[in-house]
This record gives sequence, structure tokens and C-alpha cells, in this order.
Amino acid sequence: MSNIHHSVPKIDASEKISGRMAYVADIRIDGMLHAKTVRSTEAHARIRDIRVPTLPEGYYVIDHRDIPGKNVVKMIFEDWPVFAVDKVHHIGEPIMLVVGPDKRVVQTLVDAIEIDYEPLESVFSMTESVIHYHYDKGDAEAAFKEADRIIAHEYDTGYQEQAYIEPQGFIGTYEDDRIHLIGSIQAPYYVKNAVIETMACAPEDIRVVQATVGGAFGGKEEFPSLIGCQLAVALKKIKKPIKLIYEREEDMDTTTKRHPSKTRIEGAIKDGKITALRTHIGIDSGAFIGLSGVVLSRAIIASTSAYTVDNLDISGDVYKTNTVPNGAFRGFGAPQMIYAVEMFFHHVAKELGVDVHAFRLKHLAKQGDRTSTSGLFRDPILMPEMIERACAMSDYHRKRKAYADPNVYKGIGMSWFLHGCGFTGSGEAEHIKAKVTLEKLASGLVHLRVAAVDMGQGAKTTLMKVAAETLGLPLERIVYDNPDTDLVPDSGPTVASRTAMVVGGLIARAAARLKDEWNDGEHQTITEQYTQPEYMAWNQDTFTGDAYPAYSWGVNVVEVEVDKTTLEVQVKNIWSTYDVGKSLDDNIVIGQADGGTAQGVAYGYLEVMRHHRGKLLQKNMTDYVIPTAVDMAKTETELFDNPFAFGPYGAKGAGELTLVGGAPAVALAIEMAIGERVHSIPATPEYLMEVLKNAKR
Amino acid sequence: MVSHAIPKTYAEALEILKDGTHRVVAGGTDMMVRNRAWAGLPPAFDKPLLFAFNLPELKYVRVDEKAIYIGSMTDLETLLHHEDTPSLLREVIGEMASPAIRYVSTLAGNIVNASPAADSLLALYALDAQIVLESVEGKRVLPIEKMILGPGKTVLDHDEIIAEIRMPKSSFTHTAFRKVGGRRADAITKVGFIGCAVVDDGIIRDLRLIFNAVAPTLVRVKSVEALHIGHAIEDVLDDIETITHHYAEHINPIDDQRSNRAYRKETALELARHFIKTLQ
Repeated sequence: MSNIHHSVPKIDASEKISGRMAYVADIRIDGMLHAKTVRSTEAHARIRDIRVPTLPEGYYVIDHRDIPGKNVVKMIFEDWPVFAVDKVHHIGEPIMLVVGPDKRVVQTLVDAIEIDYEPLESVFSMTESVIHYHYDKGDAEAAFKEADRIIAHEYDTGYQEQAYIEPQGFIGTYEDDRIHLIGSIQAPYYVKNAVIETMACAPEDIRVVQATVGGAFGGKEEFPSLIGCQLAVALKKIKKPIKLIYEREEDMDTTTKRHPSKTRIEGAIKDGKITALRTHIGIDSGAFIGLSGVVLSRAIIASTSAYTVDNLDISGDVYKTNTVPNGAFRGFGAPQMIYAVEMFFHHVAKELGVDVHAFRLKHLAKQGDRTSTSGLFRDPILMPEMIERACAMSDYHRKRKAYADPNVYKGIGMSWFLHGCGFTGSGEAEHIKAKVTLEKLASGLVHLRVAAVDMGQGAKTTLMKVAAETLGLPLERIVYDNPDTDLVPDSGPTVASRTAMVVGGLIARAAARLKDEWNDGEHQTITEQYTQPEYMAWNQDTFTGDAYPAYSWGVNVVEVEVDKTTLEVQVKNIWSTYDVGKSLDDNIVIGQADGGTAQGVAYGYLEVMRHHRGKLLQKNMTDYVIPTAVDMAKTETELFDNPFAFGPYGAKGAGELTLVGGAPAVALAIEMAIGERVHSIPATPEYLMEVLKNAKR
Repeated sequence: MVSHAIPKTYAEALEILKDGTHRVVAGGTDMMVRNRAWAGLPPAFDKPLLFAFNLPELKYVRVDEKAIYIGSMTDLETLLHHEDTPSLLREVIGEMASPAIRYVSTLAGNIVNASPAADSLLALYALDAQIVLESVEGKRVLPIEKMILGPGKTVLDHDEIIAEIRMPKSSFTHTAFRKVGGRRADAITKVGFIGCAVVDDGIIRDLRLIFNAVAPTLVRVKSVEALHIGHAIEDVLDDIETITHHYAEHINPIDDQRSNRAYRKETALELARHFIKTLQ
């Protein structure tokens, strides 16, 4: 067995910690101009008139009329305009850019632009469905008919903001009729392909380079395509370097967030088991669909989380509202559903008056079981051992008895979960078709030519280790520059927990070939392309088959104490066990685990974002509360080896898994502490006060 | 363009302030945020500023047998570690903001900012702080509750600066401080409370109850406190629910991005009741 999991210092750690690393905002180009976005102040309105003051020499406004190609940000659904035309659909929707050399003048012009709106009726509730998905497994109708009992519950979740430390931004230049964009992005080819569509130009006219990224969490998956397209339009018209960097408040006010959701689960109970689920989840896409359909897919596929239920009737809708568009965020629809499923299983067990732990174990998925979409769990499932270990680490069984006392305001909650690794269904094989190239220079240095982005998660170190280990070379012989679409093939976006498994797998294959064909002193290039494991069969229309090539698994245990007087929640301890196949670097995986758990737990009790008639109320890092080091509990994490045949050294996904179980674990702990049920997250003191008041009535 | 002043001496500062055109900046931790501009541009101030933070004459902590005297430009981190700082004030400062902020923020800045959610004001109200205001015309001394009129509003005149904060020496048998924020550090208060009491032989001899973030200014109602003083703690406990009634017109919180009215009101009263129950 390889020792690849032994940790090495992250290759970018010293530059980042010392402050030497340059981010996109740090890049300065002689003669560069600054761009600022003019935005809608209305949630839904027709634009009657726009009055732009006389522009001083060297200042420009850029709007939809300057777009040479399609006024749409190329994603899956083509409903997201680059610039508003005659209507605005949410507060903050971009209408135009003001560009010029002096920021003061640019700001004055932005403030002086007058827009007349004719308000239209706005929608803020989840009523207007724009996408509906449904699938069945087994025969739910029959199971409900034969049920001893039917139990139904509703759960809802709020927004979550990625809160990456570095706001969104790009700098661009125009030289030799080419547009060159450098940005804080997760998906260089998403930006390139979107810009090609907007500019109606040839692929070779666009070059996209990733600047060092200061955090992303999904927030820089699709949103940067919008800014990239806007900047490209401005570059083509003005032909000078332009910088477009968001301010924190602008970023929080206008960029994509995690979709708020409402889930209703109905369970058919027969002989003490859940025999069928009828589940509906609604997610709020905001003003444009963007990636919401794919988020919904992942949510509904997660409808049984780590359990097996034989009969399912699962559906979901994407609802459009006149609010900021929502999009990709670590977990991508799974956190909303897995929270609901975990709460539901607990609530059902309590209503049946049976031991929650035993009840859940009865339903736990096993190797050979059919997945929610009637695919197959092919690989070993280590959950029984992982659960036992997590119970031992946390002293779970003793504590849950001790904390059952209504006078004790302590609680312990446990969540079990899985995460499908990589794109849903056949996305990887049909849409992404990832390619990686290893380029060995005559000097013996090996360059990784991949589009994968290190946004802090450690992709560079991890992928370099895979190449070095396979080639039998020291790490220093491997070079991994930030991706540049002029130099790297499209190995896909850095999303969906696919980078280590898919891109890493291709690197391992290419490296093995390079090792075989190695010729000292010769320049050699090896390219590998993704091929889907042969067993994968997926029908997107019926949502049946293998939704993912592999699953990572996890257990979180969270212990809390609730203040009796103020109902403040203090997270005391977090214990976790994870199966990510094979760790490619223990420190990096533990880093993902600590960060993911912090983000997942905070989603469950701390992070509040709401809007009032389309205007977000928490607009900066003072009002949007994320955990500080003081809030963060002690964590103890253990990794279980369970190598996956198609991953490099057996690795599966690790990035998103660590987030999805945090919210239900903390919500269940809070539930135990206050002795009342939690149906809504974040479970803030304000919400708990309401719950306790209603319980008294 | 406005032109800002950085006086070298306190006398020079008072002279510059004379015509009433300058606004005094202490640590600037609120003002700089409030007047922030697009990154790379200077903050946008509509009035010329007078930077007072480095005036040596205003950086001191002195004590005598009656009181503690704090120069207005003394930063909170200094007060946090100063041996003469009243323990209640020290406790409050320890939970305020973050260390970086505390190194430049001042009590004087908190007073003039007059935020209903200000933590340090809880201690100043509880400790009967007196505020010394000075201009070239002379000095005046005001109790803290007379100094603050509403959110961001004080009686400070355009030519005045806060010179000193005084607190008479006090001792209590019981004190409690609770800051309820969105998280456990670096948070703006949703609701806060200080209680201080002197209980002697089962009789309440002194009682002070102060709340923040529940009204336009901090709430300390001496007439309600007086109702309890001189009474046996048992009698007060029997009657503890009346506290809701006594504060009904004073505790009037709002819904905002940090919390809501119901939670703030309930929690404020619960903190007070909880404190009184500990006096036994």
C-alpha cells in the first residue's frame, strides 16, 4: 500500500502565509482602467429610461448594446443576461459598467446615472416553478397503501453565503485582437466558453488565466463567467487593460448563494421500518435559473442519504423569485436534502417510540443495495465500523442518555451521510470529457497541464504528489502553474468533488504511461482523456441508474451546550469519521474536514442571511456571522481506508462530503438540549425561543 | 477638498476645534468604517478631521481614593491590562470586538458614537461614569446618561472634545455581565446586560440594572432600581415577575439584521431576573 497519505508541506503555504502571494487585486498594469457596475435598485421592473451624464474624455459606459454575440451567460440554461436590456429581475442586477482611469470619477459617474423604473409585480415566495423533476424507485404507492402508519414532516433551510476571503474579480487586457482575462475563478474553461458565446468569436481569441484564488466554495464556479463576459465586452470596445474587482458588500449583495429550500417528507411505516418515502423539495433559484436544475438533481438524488429505502416517489421544483440568483456552493443541493432526511429519520423513530440509533441502523445502506435511483452500491460500505468508532470517540451512547434529562441543556447529535463523487450521471463522460496532459521538458521537469484550480483546498499539492509518486520522482521535479487556457487542455471545472478522483486519476494514468515511455533528455507529451467506468449507466430522463461512479461516506457527532437564559448555542466538540477512499495527504484531508465541518455546522445554527422584498439584510462580514476561532469547537477526525478502483491510489471525493453532515448533527444536538424539535435551520436563539414558546402553548 | 489636522499638543487641538469645523477622531474604528470608500480611494469625509489619538496629554490612567480618571485617548487594550481598571469594565472590554480593534478604540469614541449596542457603555452607566468635556471656553462634567441623547447623538458641542472619563470607586457584592452576540467573539451585541448589587444581611442596599441594544440609548432606570433598594431579597424574589411590567415602557427593541424584537425583549428581562435570583 502506498504511503502517499503521509503529509508534505503544502506547496503554496509559505507564499500565502507570508503575504507574498499576489491575488488578482494585487495585479497592476500600466494604464489600466477601473470598472464599476451600475445595478438595479428594483426587484422587478421595466427600465423606462437611463440618463447617463456627459462622459469626460477617457470614460466609457458599457451595456448590452456593446455585446457582439449573445447577451447571455452560457451555462446550462440560457436565461442569465450579461447586462439587463429593458427589464431587471432582481436588486443588484447588472445594467452597465462605467470604466475609466480615476476611481473617484468612475464612482461619481456611477452615482450620477439616473434610471427610471416602472415597477412590476415581484415574486418572493416559492410559487413559480421553472423546473420540475420526478423519479420513482420500486412502488411507493403500494407501500403507502400497505403502511401501518404514515408520518410526514416539513423542513426548511436558509441562504448560506460562501464568504470566501477574497471577493470576486478579474483584470483583463486586449492585445493583438485577443482578450486575455486573469481572474479569481474555479473553472477557467467555463469562463472561456461563456466569453466565446458572448463575443461571438473564435476560441483562439480568448485566453483565460487563473489568478491565485483566495477561497471559492462553489461561489467561483459559474458566477465569474458573468463578470468575465462583461469585462470582455468592455475590453473589446476600449482596448485598454481594465480591472473589475468587487467590494465585499457588492459581492455579498449580488453573487450566488446556497439555495434556500423547503422539503416535505412523507414516510410509509410498516413493521417498524420505513418502507417508502414520498419527498418533495423546492429550491429558490432567485431571478435566473443558472445551475439550479443541476443543484436540484443532486438534492433529489440524495433523498435517502446513507439509508436504503426500497420504494420512493421523489420530486423537486426550482422556483424563480425576484431575488439574487443562487448557485453552486460546496455540497450543491445535498446539504439541504441530507439535513431533512436525517431530521426525518430521527423524528419518525421518536414518534414510533423506538431507539433512534437502532432504528437508523436498520435502514443503513449496505454494499449490493440499490441506490435511490436504482443504481448499485458496488463498493464496500464501511459505515458500521465508522459509526461504531465515532460513537466510541464521542462517548455518544452514554451522553445521549445523560442529556435526555430535561434539566440538562446539553445535547449530542449524530449524522450519517454520503456524497456522490464527481458530476451527476453521465455529465463527466458526455459534457466534460476531461483531458490532462503531462509535458516532460528536456530538462526532466514534468509540467502538469490541467485546468484544475487550487483555491485553498490543496489541489496543487495533492495532484503533484500523485504525479511524483507515480513517476517515482521528487516533488520538486513536478511543476503546476496556475491554469492558462492557452497552455492546458480542459480537464473540467474544479467542482463536484471530482478533482482528486477524476483529474488525479487521469494524472496517475498519464504519469504511468510517461514512466513507461520515459526517455532522458527528450521532450515528451502524454495526454489522457476520461473514460467512464463501464458499469455506469444513467438515464437522465427517468433519473435511474448509477448517478455517481463512487460515494464517499461520513459520520459527524456534534456536542452542544445551550444557555438556558439566552438560548445561545455553544458547540463543544465535533468528532468525525470519513471514508474518502484513500487520503492523498492526511493534513490536506483533515484540513478539508475541519473547514467543511465548520461551514456545515455553522450552516445549521449560526449563519443567517435573509432578504426583505429582495434586498438582502446581511450585507457584510459584520452582519453575516460565520464562526471565529473562538466559536469553533475542538475537532477529532479519523479517516478510513477504502480504496476505489478508479481513483488515483484509491482516492474518492473529499471536498464536499465534510460539509453535508454538519447541519443535521448540530440541529439534532440542539434538539436534545432543548427537548423540542428543530424543523428549520439555522437554529438560532431567536428560532429556539419561538420553538419553546410554541411548545408551551 | 477638506484639510485635516494632526495637532501635536492638546492646547493646539483645543485651539483648532475653536471654530467648530473639525470633527474629532479618536481610534476611528467606527468612523473609518462608516465613511469607507471604494478600495484604493481615501475614506470620504464631509468635514475636516482632527486626529486626537496620539495626543500624549490624553493618554493616562490615574487613581485617587475617590475615583479613577481615564484620559480620553487611552486605548481599550491598555485599559484591559491596567491594574486600576474597574473589574466590571475590564470584563466588558475583554469581550469587545477583536484585539486589533481594541488597540485603537477608546471609551471616548464609544461615547460619541453613541451606539445603542455599545458594550463599554454598559459599564460606564453601571459605574456612574462622569464625562469631562473641554473646549477653549473651559470644562464641563456630565454624567454619562446626560451625555448621550440617542443613536449617534450626544451633547458634545462642535468646539468640544472629551478630555476624561471618571468613575467613582465602587464595590459590589454581586455583578454580572452578559453580552449576547451572533457569535462568541468579534460580534455586535444583539442584547446585553450588566447587573450590580450590594446585598447586606439579606437586604438589597444597592442595585443597578443596565441593558443595551433594547432601546435608542442604553437603559438604566434609577426609579425602578430604587423600588428594590432597602428591601429584603426574599420579597423582591416573590415579586420578580413585576420587573417585566416595570421595564415595559423602557425596553423597546427593534427587528433588524442581527436579531428580533421578541428575542431581545425576552432575553433582556430574563437576564435581569436571572441576576436578581443570584442575589440570594
